[in-house]
Amino acid sequence: MQGASSGIGYGLKYQARCISDVKADTDHTTFLAGTLSLKEENEVHLIRLSSSGTELFCEGLFSHPNEIWDLVSCPFDQRIFSTVYSNGETYGAAIWQIPELYGELNSPQLEKITSLDNHVGKIKCILWWPSGRHDKLISIDEENLYLWSLDVSKKTAQIQSQDSAGMPHKISGGAWDPHDVNSVAATYESSLQLWDVRSMGKTISIECSHVRSVDYHPKRKHVLVTAEHESGVHIWDLRKPKVPIQELPGHTHWTWIVKCNPEYDGMILSAGTDSTLNLWLASLGNDDLSTESQAESPTHWVDPLLNTYSDYEDSIYGLTWSSREPWIFASLSYDGRVVVESVKPFISKK
Amino acid sequence: MGSDGDDDAPLLLDAKAKRMRDLLSSFYAPNPSMPSHSHTDSSKHSSPDDINSSSFDPNHYMNILANNSNLEGLLKRHVDMAAEIKNLDTDLQMLVYENYNKFISATDTIKRMKSNILGMEGNMEYLLDKSRSDSVNTSLFEKREHIEKLHRTCNLLRKVQFIYDLPDRLGKCIKSEAYADAVRFYTGAMPIFKAYGDSSFHDCKRASDEAIAIIVKNLEGKLFSDSEPIQVRAEAALLLKQLNFPVENLKAKLLERLEHSFKDSQLNPEEIKNASPSAHEVAIREFAEAIRAFRVIFPDSETQLVEIAKDLITRDFVITEEYVTTRICATDLLGVLRVIWNESLLMDEVLQEEALSNHFLEGAKAAVKLYVESSFSQLLLDISDCLLKVLKRDEAEEYSLQVARDASTKLALQGGRNILLDVCKILDDDSGIIDKLRELIIDWVQEGLQDFFRKLEDQFQSFSGKNNSSATQIHGLTEAAAFAGLVLVLAQLSAFIEQTAIPKINDELAVSFSAGSDRGYEYGPAFIPGDISRKFRSAGEKFLQQYINIRTQRISLLQKKRFATPKWVKHKEPREVHMFVDLFLQELKVIGNEVKQVLPQDTRKHRRSNASSASSKSNSFREEKLLLRSNTQRARSQLLETHLAKLFKQKVEIFTKVEYTQESVVTTIVKLCLKSLQEFVRLQTFNRSGFQQIQLDIQFLRSPLREIVEDEAVMDFLLDEVIVAATERCLDPIPLEAPILDKLIQAKLAKSSDQNTSPSS
Repeated sequence: MQGASSGIGYGLKYQARCISDVKADTDHTTFLAGTLSLKEENEVHLIRLSSSGTELFCEGLFSHPNEIWDLVSCPFDQRIFSTVYSNGETYGAAIWQIPELYGELNSPQLEKITSLDNHVGKIKCILWWPSGRHDKLISIDEENLYLWSLDVSKKTAQIQSQDSAGMPHKISGGAWDPHDVNSVAATYESSLQLWDVRSMGKTISIECSHVRSVDYHPKRKHVLVTAEHESGVHIWDLRKPKVPIQELPGHTHWTWIVKCNPEYDGMILSAGTDSTLNLWLASLGNDDLSTESQAESPTHWVDPLLNTYSDYEDSIYGLTWSSREPWIFASLSYDGRVVVESVKPFISKK
Repeated sequence: MGSDGDDDAPLLLDAKAKRMRDLLSSFYAPNPSMPSHSHTDSSKHSSPDDINSSSFDPNHYMNILANNSNLEGLLKRHVDMAAEIKNLDTDLQMLVYENYNKFISATDTIKRMKSNILGMEGNMEYLLDKSRSDSVNTSLFEKREHIEKLHRTCNLLRKVQFIYDLPDRLGKCIKSEAYADAVRFYTGAMPIFKAYGDSSFHDCKRASDEAIAIIVKNLEGKLFSDSEPIQVRAEAALLLKQLNFPVENLKAKLLERLEHSFKDSQLNPEEIKNASPSAHEVAIREFAEAIRAFRVIFPDSETQLVEIAKDLITRDFVITEEYVTTRICATDLLGVLRVIWNESLLMDEVLQEEALSNHFLEGAKAAVKLYVESSFSQLLLDISDCLLKVLKRDEAEEYSLQVARDASTKLALQGGRNILLDVCKILDDDSGIIDKLRELIIDWVQEGLQDFFRKLEDQFQSFSGKNNSSATQIHGLTEAAAFAGLVLVLAQLSAFIEQTAIPKINDELAVSFSAGSDRGYEYGPAFIPGDISRKFRSAGEKFLQQYINIRTQRISLLQKKRFATPKWVKHKEPREVHMFVDLFLQELKVIGNEVKQVLPQDTRKHRRSNASSASSKSNSFREEKLLLRSNTQRARSQLLETHLAKLFKQKVEIFTKVEYTQESVVTTIVKLCLKSLQEFVRLQTFNRSGFQQIQLDIQFLRSPLREIVEDEAVMDFLLDEVIVAATERCLDPIPLEAPILDKLIQAKLAKSSDQNTSPSS
């Protein structure tokens, strides 16, 4: 559709699923993307947006021993990131460090800080402490939740506590609440489960089917957004877990991932296996519950869908906002294409 | 004479006094012969020998005496005579003295009279007068007083008599029903009873009170009896009033009765349909008469009567409104309205009250409005019922979906039109009842339609929302399937309403209901077909999408199970087509069935054959290429190849807009499922056997899907994509060789045909 030409493209060599914003890099808008190839040598690309904002270039290219299913950049050190990988049969998770003088090396190798080795099943994701320098990490596999204490200098990670999912369904992903660092949400097939990190005990559970992705609203406490395979995007208020605040239709096929804009309230991106990317503007009303009536007042119904980006060839699994320039997002489709787009035209509308 | 004096001494004295008086009187008498004694005496003793007579002759007397008497006698006579002479002398002397005295006193009196005689005359006259009238007066006064007294007594007696007679008289009056007289009597007697009732006439009062009580009762009875002529009843009321009877109470009671009486004569709309002069009508006529009577009886009760009449009409309207909600047709409503109209006319006639006809108008307004509203809501209910039948599982599913669709579409169109026709009938009515309402009715119908469609849409939404995604787990699988059917019917119904029902109804509306609406131009007509159409279009699309979602979710569940259970990396060599394929096809068959019942076929059928030949060609080419490609073992170039292939091939639009055709819906579902399949495959890692299994399953799917799906090119592309995905996710992607593939597929086909035939045989 429109805006197709505005995207800046970058090709990974292989198929890929994950891309992460390098939050700790405050000087540049940088992304990390990892490839997913069973048989080839996988790579991690450090991609930087040129200062003019018109070009993406490869800042660093590092080989990674296995295909990468999840990749998250460390929020406090731009050189550290975590991956979840698989060799086809078994899964592993590790914390990596980009070598310091990578620019000068011919084929720079990633330094493995430590691997998180206690997992048995399919590891789904790794969550970093949501803000600032902290040693806590959470890794989630299909059945368990582990809280790790990471010591970067000593290059060790120790399990602090763990809890099993305790449900017939398997965990598919998770998110760490940026407002309440004691709370972690994990997605199941049929529900969303919250944990209290201190006690590693389950707290709230929200019924929703086929949740694939979850993201906390960065500005509003209690608000989180889920993407569900068949039923689109739901926005929840944790204080009222029975019904979603708002439902967005999502995608023609599965809605795979959903991300809240870190800056602009109610701006939500969702990506799906129908090879499209939708930009939504949800009207969340006021934060206070008391003024909820105001939100419900019959204002003219506006289509929450701001734009659809459909210039993709394959399913989109990777999606991230830039925290440095919050009007920019990077998306990664399965065929290995990174596209960086700006939502500026839609912000001005607001 | 001498003998008398001799015999009795006391008598002598009297005789003496008497004689003296005689003498005196004879002396003063004007006529000396007048004294009766002397006269009688003279007549008696007119003999000359009577010494006392005037004709006395002494010689004669001496002769006689001397002749007749002896000496002794003579002597004696002499002595007597001498004594008598002496007596007479003294008498004479005394008389002279007396006379003299009298004479002196008379002169004295005359002397006195001389001095007092002046002014005597006037006094005398006055005295004379007075003495005369007074004497009359006084003589009459006493008598008169007496008479008066007597008269009073007589009156009193008569009254007493009357009072004593009163009970009897009243009794008689009661017998003869002369109540007016009775009341007159009684009220006449009332003061006395008041004064003496407690004492003298106690019994009498009691008796008459009793009688009056009877009268009052009778009068009341009369008042209350409808059979009595009005005049009589009015009189009775008047009399009762005279008797100080609390007539207001009676009035209230009577009013109550009146109300009660008309309560008995309930309007029965069913009757109106049947008999033309219904019982109700008769009752109303009676009621009107009663009201008329009442007005005569209690002239001051008009307002209350108006109230009652209003109540009556109100009540009739209440009944009508109840009746209206029980599915009636316009003629019935008109019938009822007409009855009430007549009724109000009748009342009007009796009461001459403007308020009544207004009241009727109000009522009629409400009734017609309610009628319009209720017909719409009834229709709404019918449609909902019809739709909800789908959810009931007693009937054969194949049948009920189609029936539901047919019935509901018919209802939506026919029902809507029927209502319009019905209301037209009301509009066409020329009895003048609804003249003033005509414009309002048109508005109501328009509003009603708008409202109806809006509500219908809401209803649809609530039906579809009733069973949300999570609910599929709560309800049984069959129920979920029924729900999917419902959603599909809803979708088709919405489309039908949008495309057919609304335009048609709008046409009809334009014909019969275009005439004057008092909403004015700034508001426009209440029924906005464009708005409604839009709503239904989006609703229909939503439902169709929902149906597809429900169906794909079910299949997606199958797929999920299929991919979650085996360890794909350690898969064993494929020996047969996996069962999952059967389940998948079975689901598709169910969908095909449902869709076939509800949705129309695509009319552009020819497109299919053209496409199939073209795509099959490309398909075979692609397969060869695929085999070639996988054999090369160079995955990287393979990826490049797919990319290139994609570049050169026209980008396949997988997700096209869904249409309201069987083919479009089925195709969409298949496409979505195949896409899901691809995604599931991408999440796994396969060993060679796992890959081969996928290859086998997909290969098997090709031909049955080709039969179902409209757009084969897209389907083939998607199937290929699944295989490509599997190849990519395979550690060792060596496909099965064509003969083995064929053999396995044939085996499966044989087996399934076996299964198909064995239960039937």
